[in-house]
Amino acid sequence: MIEVKDITKSFGRKKVLTGVSFTASKGEITCLIGVNGVGKTTVLNAIMGLTSTNSGEILIDGKKINKESYEKITFIPDTITMLPTMRIHDAFEFMNDFYQSWNEERAKELLTFFRLQGHERISDLSKGNKAKVNLLLGLALDVDYVLMDEPFSGIDIFSREQIADVFTSHLIEDRGVIITTHEIKDIEHLIDKVVLLDNGIILKEFNAEQVREEQGKSIIDVMREVFRT
Amino acid sequence: MKNFFKLLNFEINRFMKLYVVLLVTVFVLQIIGTIIAAKGYMRMANNAVLQGGMSQLEFIETYEKFSISNALYSVWFLGPIAIGVTALLFYVFFIWYRDWFAKNTFIYRLLMLPTTRMNIFFTKATTIMLTVLGLVAFQIVLLVLHNNIIKWIVPKVYRIDLSIIEIANAFEYLSIIIPNGFAEFVIAYGLGFSFVVVIFTAILMERSFKLKGIILGLAYISASCLLFLSPYSIQYLITGKAYLYPEELFIVQIGIWIISVTVSLIVSRYLLKNKVTV
Repeated sequence: MIEVKDITKSFGRKKVLTGVSFTASKGEITCLIGVNGVGKTTVLNAIMGLTSTNSGEILIDGKKINKESYEKITFIPDTITMLPTMRIHDAFEFMNDFYQSWNEERAKELLTFFRLQGHERISDLSKGNKAKVNLLLGLALDVDYVLMDEPFSGIDIFSREQIADVFTSHLIEDRGVIITTHEIKDIEHLIDKVVLLDNGIILKEFNAEQVREEQGKSIIDVMREVFRT
Repeated sequence: MKNFFKLLNFEINRFMKLYVVLLVTVFVLQIIGTIIAAKGYMRMANNAVLQGGMSQLEFIETYEKFSISNALYSVWFLGPIAIGVTALLFYVFFIWYRDWFAKNTFIYRLLMLPTTRMNIFFTKATTIMLTVLGLVAFQIVLLVLHNNIIKWIVPKVYRIDLSIIEIANAFEYLSIIIPNGFAEFVIAYGLGFSFVVVIFTAILMERSFKLKGIILGLAYISASCLLFLSPYSIQYLITGKAYLYPEELFIVQIGIWIISVTVSLIVSRYLLKNKVTV
């Protein structure tokens, strides 16, 4: 389980996160929702140890993040994390060299799934295909948790559909997923837990299924209620 | 350790194209310089002896024999060295900042590797040191080549042949990059390595604390420079003359080098582990 406990973060005088706490479990898709600039990416960076926090604690399966954690958790940011000069198969080789959790079979499967070619140079790919490579590099790791930052941001509808298909496939099952987005339409029905964030504060945290069944409301309905009040 | 070597190989490969361009530039410019100097001398000798009626001895007495020094002090020789030094100094900063500011933010991947983050630091520092040593080794090979080109263009009667050691001893700027003995090697390259480590630490301060980090980094570099110079400055300030024997000065310098590197590594480790931001 990923436990985010009362974290605060400031950039200079600007407070970006204030007392943010939530948990994310394996086999569950947790969605951090909020408009741009409310601190969603900062939360993911903090979980991955890519930015420091001023206070609070983050635990992954009961332990603070360390070098071994990167074999258990992966982060797919909204920017590609490989050199533009690399070909896709060079990126595979790099991942295979450093990660014990790298699953070459799954990587090849994903390559076919996304209709990409191994010899393609990353710099030559379209924005949508770069997003797919990014997703591929994250999902081809046999890890327990996957963090995704705005995977649908700025890409065409067909690429978006392909990425959304990943969530219903065996590539995600049993993993704990934290996804940040403000475009939930494509994956709304798949989300288990929602954390609504505004100005660095959690406004509401709820179980999407429960709200659907008990109150007959969609996530977007709840968002409207919360963000409009 | 395995990850260190894999990362080192990766870092070196990333620099290889630029490095080869640098080596080719140094090679071409220096060789052109030597050919121009040697041909120029021979043109002068031929004019004086064949057309001016001067004897070879008279010419040599007037203009002196040609040696590699005629080529070494030209802009053709010193220019490429300056280009090499500038390029490597620039690379000390570029080797970090490209991972944050290039088109793709590779720093995400580097910081998320399942290996100690100090490996990133050590591989970058080792890459710098290897490229510096590589450039020096290349310069030594080029000196041999210069000697051979001179032998090919200038007849024996007009030239003085110098060995590599004689060349390095005779020219002050070359004795810095090609040290004359182990102690000098340790001082020159030890201080060079500490300088790289200090700059890296300052870069990590900037990457961790942004604007405050720039001030902190500059203060750290200034303090380190004062520390590096302290064995010389303190003894002259106190006594007005050299107070320490060269052997004592050497030990003090090694001590300072160890202190500076240790402090920088501790600070860098802390910053990389706890403070650095993508």
